[in-house]
Formats: sequence, C-alpha cells, structure tokens
Amino acid sequence: MKRISTILLVSILVLAIVGLGCIGGTTQTPQTPQTVTVTQTQVQTKTETKIQSQVFIRFAGWSAGETEMKNYEKIIKEFERKYPNIKVKYEVIPQMFHENILASFGAGVAPDVFYVDSSWAPIFIDKNALYPVSELASKEFVDMFYPFLLKPFEKDGKLYGLPKDWSMLALFYNKKIFEKAGLTRPPQTWDELLEYAKIITEKTGIPGLAIYVGGFNRYVPVAVSNGAPRPWFEKPEDASWFDNPIVRETLKWYIDLYRVGYVEQTKNGKKPYVVQPSDVGAGWLGDAFGQQKVAMVISGNWMIPFLADQFPNFKYGEDWDIAPVPAGKKGRVTMAYTVILGINSKSKHVKEAWEFVKFVVGPEGQKELVVKAGHTLPSIKGFENDPNLWPQHKKTLSFIPQYKELIVFIWGPKSGTLESKFSDAMASAMRGEISVDEAIEIMKQVVQEELGG
Amino acid sequence: MRLFSFQSFYEKARNKEIVAGLSLISVAVILNIIFGYFAMIFAFYLSFFKWDYIGEMKFVGLQNYRIVLNDIFRGLKGAPYLLAPFYTGLKNILIYTAIVVPIQTFLAIVLAAFANQKIRGQQFFKVSYFLPATTSSVIVALIFIWLFMKNGFINYVLTHTIPGFQPIDWLNDRNYLLLAIAMVAIWGTSGHFMVSFLAAMQAIPKDIYEAAMLDGAGPIRRFFYITLPMLKPMITYVVVMGTIGALQMFDLAWVMAGANGGPGGAGYTVALDIYNEAFTRIRPGVAAAKSWVLFAIIFTTTYIFQKKYGRQER
Repeated sequence: MKRISTILLVSILVLAIVGLGCIGGTTQTPQTPQTVTVTQTQVQTKTETKIQSQVFIRFAGWSAGETEMKNYEKIIKEFERKYPNIKVKYEVIPQMFHENILASFGAGVAPDVFYVDSSWAPIFIDKNALYPVSELASKEFVDMFYPFLLKPFEKDGKLYGLPKDWSMLALFYNKKIFEKAGLTRPPQTWDELLEYAKIITEKTGIPGLAIYVGGFNRYVPVAVSNGAPRPWFEKPEDASWFDNPIVRETLKWYIDLYRVGYVEQTKNGKKPYVVQPSDVGAGWLGDAFGQQKVAMVISGNWMIPFLADQFPNFKYGEDWDIAPVPAGKKGRVTMAYTVILGINSKSKHVKEAWEFVKFVVGPEGQKELVVKAGHTLPSIKGFENDPNLWPQHKKTLSFIPQYKELIVFIWGPKSGTLESKFSDAMASAMRGEISVDEAIEIMKQVVQEELGG
Repeated sequence: MRLFSFQSFYEKARNKEIVAGLSLISVAVILNIIFGYFAMIFAFYLSFFKWDYIGEMKFVGLQNYRIVLNDIFRGLKGAPYLLAPFYTGLKNILIYTAIVVPIQTFLAIVLAAFANQKIRGQQFFKVSYFLPATTSSVIVALIFIWLFMKNGFINYVLTHTIPGFQPIDWLNDRNYLLLAIAMVAIWGTSGHFMVSFLAAMQAIPKDIYEAAMLDGAGPIRRFFYITLPMLKPMITYVVVMGTIGALQMFDLAWVMAGANGGPGGAGYTVALDIYNEAFTRIRPGVAAAKSWVLFAIIFTTTYIFQKKYGRQER
C-alpha cells in the first residue's frame, strides 16, 4: 500500500517536471501554430491536386455583427467543399483587434490570415509581418480592384494585401423628423448642418446630430473640404499641419459642435442639439440613428445592413435617406475605409492561405459576402450596376462624382496610434476639460514624440 | 559498492518526507515560477528593449526608464494628463490609497468587533459582510455604475435625506469619479479583511478579558486596551495587503472610468497606464519599465511600513 502511494507521488513529481519542461519550452521558444497533419485514408478523387494531408489555416477577423459572422462561416464551408485539403479555423476578436494581433505576433501564435485596417497597415508592412501579395497574385487579379484602395498597402513596388471591401462616409438623415421640423432637403454645407441641427432640436426636441466624442478621422473631411491639406505625419516636423489656420479654425468648429451643442446647452438647462451615442443610451451612431433618437449622423456603409437587420420597420426611402457629406468652402470631401485580408509572412501555409484569400476577396466571394449580403461596398470594379447591389449602397456610390477628394483612412506610418491619441485630446476638449489650443498643443507633441525616433 | 540509487535514498524516513513534500507543492511552485518569477524577470529584461511584438528586440539601455521619469517630471510641471499619463495615474492611485486603506481597515475592525459579539443572528451579518468579497469585481463595478448614475439610487437617497442636496454626476464629474471608485473599493474589500480580524480576535486568550473584567474594565475600555493592542500584527498585515491591492487597482477603474480613465483622466491608474502602454501604444518595453517602477514604489512603501510597525520581538 505504502509502496503504491509513494510510486504515485513520485510519478506526480515526474509528470510535473515534464510538464514544466513543456510549458517552459513554449514560453521561451515561440512556435508557430501547431499544424495537424492527418493522413487521409480516403483517396480524394474530385480534387485535381493529389495532396495526401490536410492543412489547417487560422483566420482572424473582428465582428461587425451576427450576420457578418454567419456569412463568413457560410463562405468558409463553401471554400472547404471546394478545397477539401484545407480546413479554415475562423476566430473572432471582438475588441482591440490590431493590438491583439500584434500581441499574438509577440507570442509567436499569430493567425495565418487576418484583417488589417488601412490605418494600421504601415505598422504591419514596415515590420515585414505581411506576405507580399504581389508575389502570389496575377496582374489581372490585382487589376480588378480600385487602385485608390490599394495605395495604403503598397510599399517599394510591392503590394501587401487585397481589400475585402470598402466603405465611405455619407450623411444619414431621418426624413420623418425633418418633416416635423419643416425641413425639406438634407443640409448641403457644414454650416447648414449645424443650423439644421439647431432647428430640429428647437422644433422637435430631438437632438439634431450625433457625433463621436473624439474621432479624429471624422473631423478630417471638415478640414480638407475647407482647404486644409491632407494630414500626413512621417517626421516630427509634420506636426506643423496643426499650425495651419484652416486646421485650427475647423478643429475649433468641430470641437464646439459638442462643447457648445451638448456641454454648454445641458449646463444651461437647455436641450442639446448635438449628442454622442451614449448620451441617448445608444451603443454607436448606427444604433442611435436606428432608434430614431437623433435626426442626423455621418457614418459609413456598414450602418446600412445594421439598420436593415436591427430596425426592419425603419425603412430606407420612406423613413430615412442618404445624402453626400456636407461641403466646405472648397467642395465636398469624404473618408474611405478599407480592410485587407493580410497573410502572415511567417505562416507555414502561405499557398493555402492565399487560396483562401483569393476565394474570399475574389469576384465570387465578394458577390456573396459584400454584394448580396449588403454588407458594404465591393472593392472590385464592375459591381456598380449589379442587380444584387443594395439600393442604399448604390446611392452612396452615385455620390462619388460630387466629391473633390476621397481620403483613405491613413495618416502615415503610425496612423493607428496617432488616431487614438488625437481622439483622446479631442475628446478632452469636447468635454470642456482643456481648451482647443491646449488640445492642438497636445496633438503636436504626440506627433513629435511618436515620430521622433 | 553501489552508487546512489533512488531506492536506497528513498528508504530513509526523512527522505520520504522530503519527496512527499516536494511532490505535493510541486504544482503550485511550478505555476508560481512560470507565471510569477519568470514573468517578472522577463519584464525586467524587456524593460531595456524597444519592441513592437513583430520585429526584432532592440537594446536601448535605460531609455524606457527615461521615458517614465520624463513623464513624471512633465506631470510635476503641470502638463495635461494626456502628456503625463503615468504621473496622472500615480497621483490618482496615491490619493485613492490614502482614502481607501485607512477607511477599509477601520471598517473591517468595527465589523469584526460586531461580528465577534454573541448576538443572535450574527452569522447572518458575517455572511452578508463577506459576500462582496466573493463577488466578481467587474460585476460589482457594473452594479455601482448603475447606482452612481445621475438619476441613480445613490443620488435619490442623498437628495431625500440631505435637504438642499444637488444631485452629483458621480461618474462624469472629474472631482467625484475617484471618490466613487474608492467607495466601491471600500464596500467590496472591508468584508474580506473583517474575516482576518475576526480570526485574530478569536485567537486572543479569553483569560485576559476575564482578568480585565475582574479589574472592572467595561466593554469599551476592554476593546481599546486589550483587543486593539492584541490585533496590532494583524492591522499591519491588513494595511500592507490593502496598500498593495490599492496601488495595483485596475478592474474597478477599467469598468467605471474606462480604459482612458474617464473625464479628465480622473479615474486613471498606473495599472491602466501599463496596460495601455503595452496594448494600445504598443510599447511593451516602456510598459515593463513602468511595471518595475510601480513595483519599486510598492516594495519601498510596504518595506518601510513593515520595518516601522511590523512584528517586533517583545
């Protein structure tokens, strides 16, 4: 009896030491994701390639709602049917996506295929984390895409990813509330936007406009449409962008939207004419607009399927409509947002990953995921007049000729970090904690620090 | 002549105990080595490097520590909180600790003294005091967000009990946010430390009390002249543990103030800053340096406190 118990104890100790060896091994030598090779007993007859083993690739994305996830699962199933030797594991990271991916690179367990937003692309490209797609894709394939969407992902003549779709900002307005306030058309200029917001609140009591507190990328169209150059920060001296009088003036105007329109109004016991989503108990702009708690928002195409999905009784055309982003002194400017499916340069299965990317971002994949599902705008040319393209999306596309500029969301090699720090400073000024000049000083210092070595 | 064999080594009774003891604690020790000491040492190593998770680690010497010190000096000169996040977090967390630790220690002693009485239903009190300590802090914070809202329960009670009281917007007012977080912390941890004091009180020999009663000391005097002095080592322990916990506070601030510390950075803490440095500003080296600075602060304060008030041989 004693003998048995001591043997047990000793074996536990041995096991523990072995376990330590294993765990310690993984902590010190980062290993790429385990690839399971299963020898198949069945002979695949349908596939042209005679591959004897199955390959697993991991694909990570963020979630833009339940419907998008379901659509991706569907497309993955279809892909696996077509390529029986490749299995795709779909992982959804709901928050702080790019930070999570970077951390997984640090731990050596990054997925094979993952989303990369244009604003984060430089960080990944500069560190050679992405496999150049230009070495995998044929020229014909790349030529199908809109060239301006590829720009953020190019470096030294190489292309590092293909956009899965894209979106642009537009003005969404609630027709019913407009009628109540006696307004007949959407606002045409920035000043008119503010004026309308005030009129709507005065006449109906509903806040006229919802914006994000912070949100540097939503302010940039205001600056550029009034004649400021496009923001680009590559070296510390580029902080001088904030010294441009147009930038200072428009930034003050934008910050005052909330500082005056909400903070001062509520202080004086008046109804706010500008709110942020949480002020009206909504999660984000689309939610606030769908609940009809605000009359106008400026948001992107991703709002369209959300409204159709969550608020089916709130109908496009009858209850709400879309208009181009208001104009500044120099015309109209809008922001474009795009996301690529990047391939991990350290992946052991670049070929299989490319097959998957090609399938998803190619014409068939986009037809299913983007056009039919009404998710956003297709990044491949030729779908503009597709009968399956949702009318709401078609309408946003029809505004393109009116825009003087389409700015793709990227401010230089450190955009992701800069964006969040700029937004913090703007939020602080919007809440009235610091003056606009102080916010500008902070933003300049942020640029100098981030890009000064 | 046999060399060492496990069999003969194991036959000895003392060795048996050693093997048994080691194997029993092995799991805990191994986990502690990996997630405690290895992480600590690696963070120290990391704090001398510049890294962004993807590329190579670049040795930069003390530059990360210089960034931290710059931050503190800048804050001392009165820079806005966005440019001196570490200083802001440090300032907040010191104020928070100064509020939380004395009150929670005092409350814990008072609660323990009540729970130690032989009253009917004291078991119920013990359980209800201890419940907050068993609840997840995130859930607690979420519930208190709801209570602290401008039209919430706390303002309702205050306006109805204090005449002329204006409702406070606890969570969106930079002057009250830290106070609100501190209140939640006090509520959540006092019960936990009450149990420590209760154990210490029950360990006090009864005959001391009996002798004091014979000398005619009333309950109040007994408490001040016997209970408190006998609790001294436990008070030291609770203050030290409370200080360590308070200086590392993350979860309540994360939920109640948000990742950026809420309005004006009023709810920003050092732990939040370390998190943001590592995962939003993507400077793990600086985050590691900040962790070590925080460790140095905690270590020195608790060490000095222990030296001054800790167990002294009588």
